[in-house]
Amino acid sequence: MATVTANPLTSDRLSFDDSAEVHAAFMDRGWTDGLPIVPPTPERVGLFLEHASRSPSEIIGAEPTKGRVITAEKVAINAVMAGCLPEYLPVVLAAVEAISEPEFNLHAVSVSTMGAAVLTVVNGPIAKELSIRSGVDIFGPGNRANATIGRAISLVMSNTTGATGDLDKATLGHAGKYTWCIAEAEDVSPWEPLHVERGFSADQSTVTVFPGLSPIQVGLPDTTRPELILAAFGDALFASGPGHDEILVVLSPEGLGHIRSAGWSKERVKQALFEAGRRKASAWAAAGAGVVSEDPDETVGVANSASSITLIVAGGAAGGACVVVPLWGSGANSVPKTKEIKSG
Amino acid sequence: MATMTRLQVLDPTVQPIPQHAVIAARPDTLDGVSIGLLANGKPNSEELLEMVREVLADRYEFGEVIARNKGNASRPCPGDILDDLVERCDVVITSSGD
Repeated sequence: MATVTANPLTSDRLSFDDSAEVHAAFMDRGWTDGLPIVPPTPERVGLFLEHASRSPSEIIGAEPTKGRVITAEKVAINAVMAGCLPEYLPVVLAAVEAISEPEFNLHAVSVSTMGAAVLTVVNGPIAKELSIRSGVDIFGPGNRANATIGRAISLVMSNTTGATGDLDKATLGHAGKYTWCIAEAEDVSPWEPLHVERGFSADQSTVTVFPGLSPIQVGLPDTTRPELILAAFGDALFASGPGHDEILVVLSPEGLGHIRSAGWSKERVKQALFEAGRRKASAWAAAGAGVVSEDPDETVGVANSASSITLIVAGGAAGGACVVVPLWGSGANSVPKTKEIKSG
Repeated sequence: MATMTRLQVLDPTVQPIPQHAVIAARPDTLDGVSIGLLANGKPNSEELLEMVREVLADRYEFGEVIARNKGNASRPCPGDILDDLVERCDVVITSSGD
């Protein structure tokens, strides 16, 4: 049983006869994602905050455009609703800190017609400690940590930033808006993981948040040659349009295996992907991308440079599916952010 | 009869920080008034505002027309553009859309 916290919970309290009434009321108020939630009782919320050693009133983030301040209490309430275990709360808190960074442009990401969702990539020891899936069916259902951490972040966005049905004008959106949380397969990848690339040590645990548009699946060719495997990403990259400061590629183990056998470095892979995404200006114009250069023969890239490609390894061991994840704002109008996870 | 135990839950939402603003006084006419046109950076926002200006110009003689474009539809208007419009305009017409 949770003990009384030194700082009391201050959210408004509502009383219902039973959990069915809670579900119905929360649905009517637009406080859910359309799925049933775990009723956020004061006892459950207090337990989560005590487990993470966080004060309810601690300010985790803010969305200044709509004048919202997000406290640890509010994050914990939505984490309970999502079905999280108490030990998942530090991951959710770190993700909310990350999406609150001004450069991430949370307001625009959450209401844009382009329909972005927050993709949370977890790195470091906490992924295994919490059994956050990095392998088979990584974007699919069935794993509690992936499903509920991602869902908690989505519920925080819709419930605490005002980005509800009235303001969220996504034309289509995509399923990642329900939940989208994965771990990078660090033990499969031969390269330094995402968080080490971003300046953290391997033994630190982090989240990186991306404003992800609908993933574009790539089918790999029947070859062991790395240059042909990476050339196969060309059309999926082309579909993302020109001029990205950052774009995400998820390379699954089967494709990675041939590349690793050939001894390619991560930088060499990024360079090949960068080149696979380059087209003549005339080709961009013919595809409806407008005039990207006065010279129709000038080659213009999907990515502005090889370092604009963010590459992670994840997915099941069998099968040649990989994805390109275009980012809302092309890595410029919304910049992906990495935050350390502070455990309780 | 035993009292039924009610299930108490917490509100997951956050209300906006209250902001206090005073509605600016409305002019009785647009004759002689300085008009600002603030486009939102999206395609056709300038054209739409120009069409609105033309329609109004049939009925009123403006003092001055100042057209600005905030450039990035996804971020609030930069303070220097707002300051410029506040200083030079009596009325500002803006466009919002995709």
